[in-house]
Amino acid sequence: MARPRTPRLPPAIRRLRGLGMPLGSVLLAFAIGGAILAVTGDNPLTAYGALVCGGFGIGCTFGENPALQISNTIVFFIPLVTTGVAVALPFRAGLFNIGAEGQLLAGSIACATIGIKLGSLPTPILLPLVLLGGMVAGALWAGVAGVLKATVGAHEVVTTIMMNYVAQWFLRYLIVGGPLELRPGTSKSFPIGHGAELATLLPASNSMIIFGLPASVYRVHAGLLIALVAAAVFAFLLWRTSLGYEIRAVGQSQKATRYAGVSVPRTVIVTMLIAGAFSGLAGAVQIAGVDHNLTDKYFSDTTGFDAIAVALLGLGSAVGIVLAALLFGALHSGGSVMQADAGISSNLVLVLQALILFSIAANFIGHIADVVPGLRKREAPPPNAPPAAGSLAEAAAPPAELA
Amino acid sequence: MGHSRLRLVGLVAVALMLVAACGGTSTGGGTATKQYKIGLVTDIGGLNDKSFNHLAYLGLQKAIQDFGVKGDVTESKSGDDYIPNLTNFASKGYDLVIGVGFLMQEAIGTVSGQFPNVHFAIIDGAGTDANGNDLQHANVASLLFREQDAGAMVGVIAGMLEKQGKAKKNQGVISAVGGVSIPPVNRYIAGYKWAAAMEDPGIKVLIGYSNDFTDPAKCKGVAQSQINQGADILFQVAGGCGLGVLQAAGQAGVYSVGVDADQKDADPSVIASALKKVDVATYTAIQDVVKGTFSGGVLTFSIANDGAGYALDNLTLPADIQAEVTKVQNEIKAGTLTPPADIPA
Amino acid sequence: MTPVFDILKLLLTAHLWQATLTWAVLLLLPALGGVISERSGVVNIAMEGMMLIAAFFGVTADIFWHNVWLATGVAMLAGALLASVHAVVSIRFRADQIVSGIAINIFAAGLTVFLIGRFYGVQDVGHVSQAQLLPNVDFPLLDKIPFLGQVVFQQNVMVYVALVILVLTHVVLFRTRLGLRIRAVGEQPQAADTAGINVYLIRYGAVITSGLLCGIAGAFLAIGVSNTFTPNMTDGRGYIALAAMIFGKWTPFGAFIACLIFGLGQAIYDNNSIIHISPYFLSMLPYLLTLVVLAGLVGRATPPANDGVPYVPGSE
Repeated sequence: MARPRTPRLPPAIRRLRGLGMPLGSVLLAFAIGGAILAVTGDNPLTAYGALVCGGFGIGCTFGENPALQISNTIVFFIPLVTTGVAVALPFRAGLFNIGAEGQLLAGSIACATIGIKLGSLPTPILLPLVLLGGMVAGALWAGVAGVLKATVGAHEVVTTIMMNYVAQWFLRYLIVGGPLELRPGTSKSFPIGHGAELATLLPASNSMIIFGLPASVYRVHAGLLIALVAAAVFAFLLWRTSLGYEIRAVGQSQKATRYAGVSVPRTVIVTMLIAGAFSGLAGAVQIAGVDHNLTDKYFSDTTGFDAIAVALLGLGSAVGIVLAALLFGALHSGGSVMQADAGISSNLVLVLQALILFSIAANFIGHIADVVPGLRKREAPPPNAPPAAGSLAEAAAPPAELA
Repeated sequence: MGHSRLRLVGLVAVALMLVAACGGTSTGGGTATKQYKIGLVTDIGGLNDKSFNHLAYLGLQKAIQDFGVKGDVTESKSGDDYIPNLTNFASKGYDLVIGVGFLMQEAIGTVSGQFPNVHFAIIDGAGTDANGNDLQHANVASLLFREQDAGAMVGVIAGMLEKQGKAKKNQGVISAVGGVSIPPVNRYIAGYKWAAAMEDPGIKVLIGYSNDFTDPAKCKGVAQSQINQGADILFQVAGGCGLGVLQAAGQAGVYSVGVDADQKDADPSVIASALKKVDVATYTAIQDVVKGTFSGGVLTFSIANDGAGYALDNLTLPADIQAEVTKVQNEIKAGTLTPPADIPA
Repeated sequence: MTPVFDILKLLLTAHLWQATLTWAVLLLLPALGGVISERSGVVNIAMEGMMLIAAFFGVTADIFWHNVWLATGVAMLAGALLASVHAVVSIRFRADQIVSGIAINIFAAGLTVFLIGRFYGVQDVGHVSQAQLLPNVDFPLLDKIPFLGQVVFQQNVMVYVALVILVLTHVVLFRTRLGLRIRAVGEQPQAADTAGINVYLIRYGAVITSGLLCGIAGAFLAIGVSNTFTPNMTDGRGYIALAAMIFGKWTPFGAFIACLIFGLGQAIYDNNSIIHISPYFLSMLPYLLTLVVLAGLVGRATPPANDGVPYVPGSE
């Protein structure tokens, strides 16, 4: 019997269909969130309207300045791209990098320390130095997990979680009553030298008025370019280099890769080092571009965890990560406006993020598509999470005992 | 593949710029009677922190009731949110933007410089620069508290009870449990220790930290250790975590002291509370704006102006102790006695 | 080094070990849940979220119905419900189990604070009165034993419950057919399936059991040790329990020893009024210790062979 021919759709449409799963997951999450709101007596439309206003500057009814909202979203977006990459890259090798937060912290600490101690150096020297320092620190932080995985098969999920906590407490040690503290009791560090600062895209002037507000309120900084370059480097690395090929090969099947002569342990370590470097860079960029000092806020920072959702939602591709980071940046901005305008706790944003994660992880959309006739895609769905994320059995050789 | 992706990014960028250009601030229409708009930005503890954020909110509520102002709140989820949250209110032309907590100092310093026509107030701090220096902007009211005054009052009570053997174990040991070793916490403890030692020179004051402001179990553990060392009056300075101190005291049958707000109902063992009237300060700031008497600069809330104080809770003090408390209170008000801001050795 | 000497003196007091056991039990219950779940082949890093949601509903139920046993039941139910979400997503939908676990933790954190706002407004969550907390029980004769009596027999009722569960878990896992089946499903699900064992049922059961145990832990935390709910009050214990499970090589008693070590650290730190220890280093300690264990310095730590792999019949 002749198989029916699938019509060849133009690439643009095919790519749009590829968006179906992540887009559907987000919509599903919002629908469930809306149900929760309705059940607890709030109006989902007002809530989401405020969310969209705060995230994208669209449809603001309470006098918010759209340019300001967009600017805030972009500032939140920037670290999410780089950390999203830091999570997505190891995914391709079958590794789960939950330690992006700790690596980001390591990067911030390094950047701040160098920026403070060498604060008198001029920009052309200091700025690259602090960014590099951040990358090295992040790489080392992830490297611990990479080495443990490669040598004794320790699951990177656990080791990276542990390293996260170590980083948190180390940060606290440094700035609450510790060596980097500005003055006793301030819980923050000295400011970094001016040479370590990343310039804002608009002049930081209180008197110049742009879009109705002083130019200094738009905090979008040069880190935006760094983040986009990082995403491009990630794509290039993964698809156009032999290392990238090895990484993807290891992710597909460690056995086959070993037979092909690729050293799995070496690839694991290198992948984690690079991922850590990305995260560390994100942390350094935050210090250099936004904070200009190290504060206790990093103790409870969640960027590295949001990055996991960003990497998944973005289906592990550079463009996807950028779009997903934009969404999460918008959710972050939007949450505050949602609370200020609609009086709804910004914790709802956390609930929405969790629902998005569930949706993607469980591929609810795919399953719905299976059930509803006509919705099923003809092509194979893109990989949403590497199959090897759970098979830590590959790297170690466990004795299966059933006594 | 690279081409179309670049185009996508370009499209997004153009779209954003278009939206931004077409947008713009909408100004509120002129209304006959002015309704003042107040924005409150809390710290990361959230409105349920059983401490300053909550108290500031109460002050706002009272102002809404009394003056009919419009009050909106945003809880900061992290330090990243301070500047955006403050800027949001300021850019919408709110009359007063209040930040809670000294961690927001730099943010207030920055935003108040960008919006010189908006009034700002900050609890527990000033608008500072990156080096911690007060920028002294004219539009910023710095609401500071002398927690040591409040700590001293309850310290007097504790010291007298120990000295007269009217506490529970009477081993001459009292204690304090702080959240984290930071100035707002330590000022309370400083006043407490200083006053207790003044009343009962031989008294031993144990000071421990839970390293936490939210988990009551952690504070309970520290409190229990202090109780094992003989402490029978425990002063909690740890926000939501500190409720564990009060609970531990109740279970052990000793006394405890609440903090910030009157914690009489938190546990029957609470005999007094050291008050930091953040609600009064918030209310005052709003009142100043409504009445047009707002002025920048430092406003210190202490015993002298009833911005700090104490409350008696589930214990009737003997008359002589009450008299001593009142005496010390008057002396602090008059300035003849000054509780220290740093914990005495 | 005076702190070391002070710590040694402290180690000789019964109070210290009594506190150690209490803190250890708060970690033990979720750790046991993790052991059961992972032995059946489902990775579970959602203990934090399950405990948190159980704590919230336990406190709320106790405040409304003034019955601590009912409230504990509600807490267990909440934990089990959230666990079943993880189970369905992981088993039926074959989602990545780590992602699902992370999602549950974020979900619980967001939902609980959101619900505080809806249920209580900006008032206090309020607290549960002394009489409606899980009671402390002193065993009549045994608590008079010097030292050990105070440490073991003057504890909260939940500590005893947890110790019983500890023994039960060990016995069931290693001495019964059910335990054999659970472990089979975790090591070789295809073979187990062929042998007629219902892989899905076992896994669902294991995950929901972990939810129940986290429910007990949440209740113990919120209406046993404390008497109220505060946002994020679980404070990372779910992750420390994860570390304890691995430290203990996925065995109940191994996890217990790890929990005791971590609990000891906390109990020592509680005494910082008299011993001056850096809080930061001590807080790092459980995590550094786990890394040391994982580095194989205490032998290899290998999980069940098919841990984390969704079961697809005929896939091997």
